[in-house]
Amino acid sequence: MTYSLHVCHLYGDLMNTYGDLGNILVLKYLANKMGVKLTSEVVSLGQDFDPDKFDIVVFGGGQDFEQSIVSKDIQTKKKGLTQFIENGGSVVAICGGYQLLGRYYIGANGEKLAGIGALDHYTDKQKDHRFIGNVVIQNEETGEKYHGFENHQGITFLGKGERPLGKVLEGHGNNGQDHTEGAIYKNVYCTYFHGPILARNNEIAKHVLMNALERKYPNADLSQAQSVKVGSTF
Amino acid sequence: MSLKSSIAMAAGKSSYWFLHTFFKGGSSLPGKITKRLDPDILATLGRDYDVIVITGTNGKTLTTALTVQVLKEKYENILTNPTGSNMEQGIITTFLHAAKVKGKRPLAVLEVDEANVIKVTQYIKPKAFVFTNIFRDQMDRYGEIYTTYQKILNGVALAPNATIIANGDAPIFHSKQLPNPIIYYGFDNQPSGDIKATPNTDGVLCPQCQHILHYHFISYSNLGDYFCPNCGYKRPKLNFALNKITNLTPKSSSFEIDGEPIKIDIGGVYNIYNALAAYTVGRFMGVSPAQTRQAFEKDKRIFGRQEEINIGGKLVTLILVKNPVGLNQVIDMISTDKDPFTFIGLLNANYADGIDTSWIWDGDFERLPMMAIKQFITGGQRYRDITYRLQVAGVDPKKHLVEPDLDKVVEMIPKAPTKKVYILATYTAMLSLRKTFAAKGFIKGGMG
Repeated sequence: MTYSLHVCHLYGDLMNTYGDLGNILVLKYLANKMGVKLTSEVVSLGQDFDPDKFDIVVFGGGQDFEQSIVSKDIQTKKKGLTQFIENGGSVVAICGGYQLLGRYYIGANGEKLAGIGALDHYTDKQKDHRFIGNVVIQNEETGEKYHGFENHQGITFLGKGERPLGKVLEGHGNNGQDHTEGAIYKNVYCTYFHGPILARNNEIAKHVLMNALERKYPNADLSQAQSVKVGSTF
Repeated sequence: MSLKSSIAMAAGKSSYWFLHTFFKGGSSLPGKITKRLDPDILATLGRDYDVIVITGTNGKTLTTALTVQVLKEKYENILTNPTGSNMEQGIITTFLHAAKVKGKRPLAVLEVDEANVIKVTQYIKPKAFVFTNIFRDQMDRYGEIYTTYQKILNGVALAPNATIIANGDAPIFHSKQLPNPIIYYGFDNQPSGDIKATPNTDGVLCPQCQHILHYHFISYSNLGDYFCPNCGYKRPKLNFALNKITNLTPKSSSFEIDGEPIKIDIGGVYNIYNALAAYTVGRFMGVSPAQTRQAFEKDKRIFGRQEEINIGGKLVTLILVKNPVGLNQVIDMISTDKDPFTFIGLLNANYADGIDTSWIWDGDFERLPMMAIKQFITGGQRYRDITYRLQVAGVDPKKHLVEPDLDKVVEMIPKAPTKKVYILATYTAMLSLRKTFAAKGFIKGGMG
């Protein structure tokens, strides 16, 4: 049996600042090793998001202006995205994408801009300061260490039902205060990591693909895909 | 001239002489001294010149050099600033160093850093501005293209009568209503279709209605004949256009501007834009197309950035890469080589390289496996990042060697399976390689 996965590259033409396309390229590369055919399509301004059409959503980070435009448009996709997430759809959300899945974030001019509230976190803003530099975190459930690079002015605080992607070993993470970085909720992985995250941390890419395969093919034998080895690339 | 200005200039000039004579330097310190003594010194220094300011994120240096070359066909006295002196102090030093000119009003063609445009226009009202392009750089990727453009415009606002000579293919240069006269140059060399830029392209929102721009064709990145299907916003009419690209090689480009055949001795479509900008300034200043053609043929040293280095019989081209737009242009340029070659990619992550290496994922390395590349070598501090990037791009592991140590990479060059070798390196990797090349006598020291 041939397996296939379809990726929604959410606002891929606007939220693309930090090599975000790399996350899609790595998913394709690993999927190919697993014998899975992976395709992707950009869903952007003015387009509907159909939760039944996709197995994975990748949502990158963007510049302030682009993100403010997306903040308005994404409200029209709120229902579909929330449904996708609640039904166990796999999501990888980076930086601005991470912020927009939460309740709100603070824009360039200090204005409060709405997220879709699919996840319960919110994002405030540091005054005239950014967290910039390399980050290392540890996933406390799996023990895996993840490497990345952060560059963000927003400070995010996790909410109900969310647990961090990892505990900060080096760098600042979500807010520089509670030693958390990123968020996990159901099959959603959120992070401030550039790298891009899936390129630096193949393990996460594999989790995302396996989660998506298990959801789409609940009764299939996925041992071949599971047997594909991923190692450190950083 | 005020006494203050005279004293300031004398102090600046003597410090220039001192630095130049004893330290072979002196690009910004004399300017700093002069500015300290007389903050308004640029007004005094610049008032006898017709000034052309060249700004934008990429291509300033070559556009400035080419513009000077073109204008020399008609004008005798042209002052220009050397590479790296594009901030206020460097510009003051440039004027200080200038010989006194008698008779006709001289020209100054100045490369000016985007944020320093206002520091020039506070004192000097230029005759023209040239806008090359605005791309995001990896160094400050949170600095937005819109913010950068606004910095330029803040400077331009002080010179509302100056003519703007802008790249018409860049949507951002048509986004604001300005009182200045504007001349647009651009490409008109491809059939008209309806396409969108690839998803990882920056700056594709319609400045008027914030929908995604479409293009009749794209030359590279977000440059091209754009239009907005939602509100009708579109590329302005071009005053001067490239009609045809006749031939591209890694070392030269042949093309036609307004029907005039022109050849430049440097590869890369982005350099055609630089030549087109210089051509347009020439036309604005009364230089004929034929004179421009001659100007480009006359002194080929102005293109001399991509030198070929002989290392153990191999012809090595060392190219600096620092952001995705530039990287993609280089990948495009080497794809025009008809001969097989060896590809070396070196990635460092010091401050001068950009400490965030994620930008390599916006590079179109997927094109490499389709080229006649016999061997790949990856190295540098972040060899694992660049190695994995090529792996994902589909580079055959059997052809791919990994060597973190740059000195050892240099030792591998003579053993390369091809005569031609292209090295793409980030800034500090390039410096380190050049140091080794110089130590081994392959080149004469320094950055060249």
